[in-house]
Amino acid sequence: MATASQPGGEGPPDLWDPLIRVSHWGIAAVVLSNALLTSGGSTLHVWIGWTGMALLLLRLIWGVVGPREARFAAFPPNPLAALRHLGHLLRGRAALYPSHNPAGAMMAYALWLSLAVVIATGLGMTGAATPMQIARQNAAVAAGDWSVLVDTTAPKADASPDWTKTLQGIHEVAANLMLFLAFLHVAGVVVESRAMRRNLVLPMIAGTRMRRK
Amino acid sequence: MTRPPTLRLTHPAVITAFLMVQTLAAVFFLGDVVTELFTDPLGPHVVLEGLTALALISGMAFGTLTLRAALDRLRTQSAALAVAAGSLAQVIDTQFTDWRLTPAERDVGLLALKGLDVAEIAAVRGAATGTVRAQLAHIYAKTGVSGRAQFAAFFVEDLLGSGVPAIGAGPSATSS
Repeated sequence: MATASQPGGEGPPDLWDPLIRVSHWGIAAVVLSNALLTSGGSTLHVWIGWTGMALLLLRLIWGVVGPREARFAAFPPNPLAALRHLGHLLRGRAALYPSHNPAGAMMAYALWLSLAVVIATGLGMTGAATPMQIARQNAAVAAGDWSVLVDTTAPKADASPDWTKTLQGIHEVAANLMLFLAFLHVAGVVVESRAMRRNLVLPMIAGTRMRRK
Repeated sequence: MTRPPTLRLTHPAVITAFLMVQTLAAVFFLGDVVTELFTDPLGPHVVLEGLTALALISGMAFGTLTLRAALDRLRTQSAALAVAAGSLAQVIDTQFTDWRLTPAERDVGLLALKGLDVAEIAAVRGAATGTVRAQLAHIYAKTGVSGRAQFAAFFVEDLLGSGVPAIGAGPSATSS
């Protein structure tokens, strides 16, 4: 019946496992809301950023211990193979891969890397304070206790304004890069879905249940 | 949907939800603990916080491995089912060939095995019920069984024995 869709078959899965799906859409929501909706530096921005960090962490762990198609070994970063795949795609005869195709794999690594840079610089700017701590700090300042801001033992204290400015610059550049990559990613999914006559979006939502039954 | 979706505790979706909560809790709590270590190292609360962090991390590890095991189990089951279904179809096919059933008789025989009665088979094949009844009688004669129940039991018996027999090494019924 479904030869290419069986777990041991040739093509990518008809349905990605729940952890991949949740982390995929979770990270998409985190990136979009923090890039477009929340204001940088706000407590909400930090809350969402930490959530993104948790999702990325879980996905990276899953890349080592998850099922075969979730593991990094199933889609190693290979720029040459990615270019070759795109070339084949243009000529309309690209092969099927058991996990992400080589171009998709490069996109996944590029997105994760830029997300990691955004998270790291964000942590650097806030002195790795959790949203709870920032909320507490803000509450104290609002109550008139400015001493929390000059706490000499706070990790934030050794971050000079210059350093923070640099971090902020990297944070913004990496965030914009990520939005651009996300746009390319969506475009790539559309092109690949058309060229291969294979809907690549459904496996990331609910699999074939939606179209066949 | 062939089956109503039952949501059990071992369902991957349930484990994933549990794992998400575990991970969020672990990351936020560890962030708090680590930054507090810089401001207030080695207070009496450090022991309790360390234990909590350990519990959260091991809960996360446990959740990850449980999810992996649940996914593996589901895949093994569906693969085994596909193999069994394929094997049975092949066993039936081989046996029909051994019995030298005509193409029409093969179709009727398969429909009979699937549980359709004479009227239903006739409807499916667009034939008269008399024709189907005659074809079934031919099949039973070639097979050497007394009737429908015994005909179906022929294949079920193999499944009940020591698993599905290898292709070709069919049941003891002699051909011709």
